[in-house]
Amino acid sequence: METRINSPWNRLMDQMKAWARINSPWAIHFNSGSCNGCDIEILATLTPRYDLERFGVKLQGSPRHSDVLICTGPVTRQARERLLRIYEQMPEPKFVVAVGSCGLSGGAFQGCYNVIGSIDEVIPVDAYIPGCPPRPEAIIDGVVKLLSSLKPGAAGAQPASNGKGMA
Amino acid sequence: MTNPELISFDSLLENGRSLLESQIIEAQTPEPGRLDLVIGPSDLPQAVQTLVDNHWGYLAAITGLDRPESSEVEALYHFCSGPAVLTLRVRVPYAEPALPTICGVIPSATLYEREFMEMFGVQVTGTPDPQRLFLPDDWPEGVYPLRKSFNPQEKVPQVKPKANGDNAGRYIVPIGPQHPALKEPGHFEFTVNGEIVTGASVRLGYVHRGIEKACEERTWTQAMYLLERVCGICSNSHAYAYVLGVEKLAQVEAPERAQAIRELVAGLERIHSHLLWLGVAAHEAGFDTLFMYSWRDRETVMDLLERLTGNRVNYSANLIGGVKFDVDDEQRRTILAGLDYLEERCRHYLDVVSTDAAFLQRTRGVGTMTREQAELLGVVGPTARASGVDRDIRVEAPYGSYRRFPVSIVIEHAGDLEAKFVVRVKEMLVSISTLRALLDNLPPGELVARVPRRIPAGETISRVEAPRGELFYFIKSSGGDKPERVKVRTPSICNFGSVIHTAVGHQFADMPMLLAGIDPCFSCNDRMIVVRKK
Repeated sequence: METRINSPWNRLMDQMKAWARINSPWAIHFNSGSCNGCDIEILATLTPRYDLERFGVKLQGSPRHSDVLICTGPVTRQARERLLRIYEQMPEPKFVVAVGSCGLSGGAFQGCYNVIGSIDEVIPVDAYIPGCPPRPEAIIDGVVKLLSSLKPGAAGAQPASNGKGMA
Repeated sequence: MTNPELISFDSLLENGRSLLESQIIEAQTPEPGRLDLVIGPSDLPQAVQTLVDNHWGYLAAITGLDRPESSEVEALYHFCSGPAVLTLRVRVPYAEPALPTICGVIPSATLYEREFMEMFGVQVTGTPDPQRLFLPDDWPEGVYPLRKSFNPQEKVPQVKPKANGDNAGRYIVPIGPQHPALKEPGHFEFTVNGEIVTGASVRLGYVHRGIEKACEERTWTQAMYLLERVCGICSNSHAYAYVLGVEKLAQVEAPERAQAIRELVAGLERIHSHLLWLGVAAHEAGFDTLFMYSWRDRETVMDLLERLTGNRVNYSANLIGGVKFDVDDEQRRTILAGLDYLEERCRHYLDVVSTDAAFLQRTRGVGTMTREQAELLGVVGPTARASGVDRDIRVEAPYGSYRRFPVSIVIEHAGDLEAKFVVRVKEMLVSISTLRALLDNLPPGELVARVPRRIPAGETISRVEAPRGELFYFIKSSGGDKPERVKVRTPSICNFGSVIHTAVGHQFADMPMLLAGIDPCFSCNDRMIVVRKK
């Protein structure tokens, strides 16, 4: 745990960082076993009708440059290790959004031999967006709720990863 | 092109039977249009050679069946020629689980053979690459998920994965499973010499969930919802193929109106899928303007689908025996208006993909696959039709209402990426005109036919043309309220081999485009592939 000095300068810096984080979060997308349904809806949120970019959200290819991990699908045995690796490569503070019924609970694929289960069984999750698949509006709503929770003083200003060990 | 209506499948099957006369142990006709020939394992390569030498169809799939009652595993080699399906059935006892390979005759069979090996625990001797195909790296040896003795509820222990093979002296660029150019997880390794690719391999299975096994534990109706979730892009095609098969087993026919509504949803799904692909492929080429435009227009189809079915993605349109909803006059008018807009846009896209100079530099003459290669590699769908192969199940073996509202086949001959763009855009235009005819002549009547809860025992094959190509279902019932076996062969697995084949000799920078060219669907594959060239 880093020690924080409560100086005016640090407070100003924290405010600036929070402002920047809320207004331009970079997101990475990973499919850990999804049927594509959620993935095409996530892609649809980035295209002209829904345009997630108006909230400053940019899809980013590298985990090392990303703030938010948007995850879809149940976690399969083969994808588990990779999901962990991507999560570990992201710089702190990092936030995880689980999209779709499968990501939340395993969904229709519960009990399949190659499926481990929901995403939060592998990595800590900050926002859950239900649906099979969720509508683009629901995905936007989830992301916006996550962003507004990051405002200083709001509940959940700390990522779910804080103070928790890896699963 | 020959008119499929004129080809009698009886004469095709009789011809196939006479070719293999000396090897047949037993012959059955399980349903019209099919012939099952039981042959001995040692005769298999010779029989396949005979079929291939005489150009009798192409290998559509290898289905495995576990028969614990007689302690044996059965392998079914399905060959399709137009509407006729000839199946070679080979039985191998548990005591001596080995089969000869047919890769010497059909190289692309390697994928099917390896899937069969790890799922059923049968050794295919002489197969070029015996590595694991489907299951995760940490899966233990000797556990075969599709054997009836395997219980998916039991936890399968994790073992330490084996180390990769020796790659010394080769320069390999790994891509994936997470990579900006991939929308879904897959792992590719390209061996390069400077900028030129000299070898390629692919490892999938990151989205392998084990749906075929899960179907055996669900009722006929529950399995439909699961199969719809094989793939979120072509969800309707999976449900369509499944309900067609189950209806055949139950000897029920969906009412005419229901069949027309199924074709309507399938047509709209094709337009949405092709527009989606157009955008993603344009994005891979660095043409993001086209990406944004085509996805904006795709929302028109999504609205139509939502208005019709209530859902944007997993439409849940089908029921066993019919469909869930009707089309009223207002919906009909809305769809027709949407189609008018889409037609105008598709004509514009056709113009863009065939005239934009910068774009053509990325597509014209790139990734060319000749007709001979396409036939040898057994590719399906728009990938095959862009290389001049006239393979379209809707035309060759019309199902549902495709006899009443036919589609015309779109063929290009160049075989390069440009042809793949042109074929798909033209297919959207064909779908639009078919849907117009359909909506103007929607047959009246009921929406659902009554279907028994228990489906009579039997085996059936149903083939549906999904947006990516032929989707092949083999369904077996033992007379209960659950399927005995559901085998899914998706179009992407047929097409993957072709990318690996055409990649060699190309610029490394063209790889994302080549991959996008077949419209790969990883979740559809539901399996892992490792192909090594060189």
